[in-house]
Amino acid sequence: MAVDTLTLAIATAIYLAITIALGYLGYKRTKSSEDYLLAGRKQHPVVIALSYGATFISTSAIVGFGGQAANLGMGLIWLTVLNIGLGILIAFAVFGKPTRRLGQQLGAVTFPDLMGKRYNSPFMQYGTGIVIVLGMPLYTAAILIGGARFIETTLGVSYTTSLLAFAVIVALYVIYGGLIAVMYTDAFQGFIMLAGMTALLILTYIYLGGVNAAHSALDAMTPLVPETLAAQGMQGWTSMPDLGSPIWYTLITTLVLGVGIGVLAQPQLVVRFMCAKDDRTLNRAMAAGGPFLLMMTGVAFTVGALTNVWFYREGGQIAIQAAGGNVDSIIPLYINQAMPDLFIVIFMLTLLAAAMSTLASLFHAMGSALVCDVWSRGKACVHSVRSNQVGCVVMMVASVGLAFLLPGSIIARATAMFMGLCASAFLPIFAVGVLTERPSPLAAKASFLAGALSWLLWTVFVHAAEAKPIGISQALFGVPTLLGAPWSLIDPIVIALPLSTLVIVAVQALSVRAAAPVTEAGAGE
Amino acid sequence: MFAISDPQILLGYGLSIGFTLACIAYGLYHGYRGETSGS
Repeated sequence: MAVDTLTLAIATAIYLAITIALGYLGYKRTKSSEDYLLAGRKQHPVVIALSYGATFISTSAIVGFGGQAANLGMGLIWLTVLNIGLGILIAFAVFGKPTRRLGQQLGAVTFPDLMGKRYNSPFMQYGTGIVIVLGMPLYTAAILIGGARFIETTLGVSYTTSLLAFAVIVALYVIYGGLIAVMYTDAFQGFIMLAGMTALLILTYIYLGGVNAAHSALDAMTPLVPETLAAQGMQGWTSMPDLGSPIWYTLITTLVLGVGIGVLAQPQLVVRFMCAKDDRTLNRAMAAGGPFLLMMTGVAFTVGALTNVWFYREGGQIAIQAAGGNVDSIIPLYINQAMPDLFIVIFMLTLLAAAMSTLASLFHAMGSALVCDVWSRGKACVHSVRSNQVGCVVMMVASVGLAFLLPGSIIARATAMFMGLCASAFLPIFAVGVLTERPSPLAAKASFLAGALSWLLWTVFVHAAEAKPIGISQALFGVPTLLGAPWSLIDPIVIALPLSTLVIVAVQALSVRAAAPVTEAGAGE
Repeated sequence: MFAISDPQILLGYGLSIGFTLACIAYGLYHGYRGETSGS
C-alpha cells in the first residue's frame, strides 16, 4: 500500500459519510417520480454547474485522457477547447434554454422522452432509448475501470473487489435518492475535484522547476519519442503530430472530435438543462461551468504530458514505459510515486468523486431509459419510482459485467466511442428538435437511423482500432477492414455525423411544407 | 511563449482560456443583468 492506512481510512470515511448523508437528503426530498427523474426541476445554478461538470468529467477524462496526453502530448489541449467552447458555451447558451423550456412544456422527464414528445413519435423514444441502453454501458464500464484501477494501485485492493465495491456504493445512493441525490453528491464531489486538480497542477510545476522549466524539459525530450510513435507522425510532446499521419487522425478525429462534439448530445447532460427552474439559472451555471472544465481537462492534459519529464528524471524512462505500456496506468502511477501521501489521499478522493459523480448520472440515465423509454414507454415510468430503481440495478449489473470483459488501455477509446455514437445518432435530431419550430418526424427518424447505423457499420467494418479487435470483417470478408488507410484511420464520427446531419437537413427541407406542427412549444418562445 | 514553440498548441491553450472567460462573461451578464424571461 502506498499510503498511510489511518490517514486514508479517516479521509475515505469522512468522504463517504458526507456522500451518504447527501444521498439521504436526496432520498428525503424525493416525493414524486419527477423529483426522482428531474430533481424537481428547481436546482440552484451552482448545483447545476458542478453537477454538469462533475458528470461531464470522469476518471475517463483524468486517468484515460490524461494518460493519452502522456503518450501523445499536449495536442490533447484541443479537446479542452471543444469541451469548454462546445460543451459549456454552446451547450448552455444555444441548447440549454430551449431544452429547458421544451422539457417543461412537454412534460418530458428523460432525453428519449423529450425526443419522443417533441417529434410526436414513439419510434424516436424507443430508438434513442435503445441506443442508450446498448451504448452507455460501454462508457460506464470505462469509468468503472478507471476508478477501480486507481483504487487497486493506491490501496492494494484487488481489481475485482475495487470494481464491485465501487459500483455498489454508487448504485445505492442513485437507487434510493434519484436525481436529487445524484446532483447533491455531484456538487460536493465537484468541489473535491476542483481542489484536487488545482493541487495537482501546482505540485507538478513545483516539482519540475516552474512552468517554463517544465515545458522546456518536455520539449527537450523530443528525441526520446519512441520510434513506433515517431513513425506514425508524433513530433514530440509539445507539438502537434504530423498533419494526416495515423497519430494525427487518432488525436483529432477520435479523441478531440469524438469526445468534443459528442458531449453536446449526451443524454445524462441534457437532463441537467431540464432540472433548471429558469433561464437565468442556466446562465449563472455557465459562469461556473467554464472555469470548472478548464481546471479539469486543461490540468489533466497538461500534467499528463509533463509526467514524461518526472518519470524520465526519476527512472530514465518516459511515462508509457514506466507504466508498463498501459496508458490507463500512467496517471495513477504518477500520483502514487510523485505526490506526497496526503495528496495521494486527496487525489484518490478526487478520482473517486469524478468516477462516482459520472457513474451516478449514467446509472440514473440508463435505468430511466430502460424503464421509461424502452420497457414501459409512457406508462409505469411516471408513476413508479420503484420501477426506475429496478432499471438502475439491471443496468449497473450489465455495466459491471462489461467492465470485466474489456481489454487494457480502453478507457479513452471506449469513452470516445460512446460520445461518437451520441453525436452521430443524437446531435442532429436534438439540434433540430430544440432549435426549430416545426421539426419533421420523418427527418428525425431518417437522420437517427443514418447516424446510428453508419456509425455502427464504420466501427465494425472500417475503423481499424475497433474493426480489428471485433473481428467481424475478418470473419465475413477475410480482411481486417474493408477499406485501407487513410479511411481505416478515420473515426466513425467523421463519417456518421455529417451523414446524419445531411439527412436531417435534406429531409427537413423536403418535408417542411407538408409537416404539421407537432407542438406549440418552440425555440425562443 | 511558456517554452512551447508549436503555435497550434499555444493557440489551443489560448482558446481554452478565451472560451472560459467568455463563459464567465456571458453567464454573469445574462444571469444577473440581461434576462428577465424564464418560467
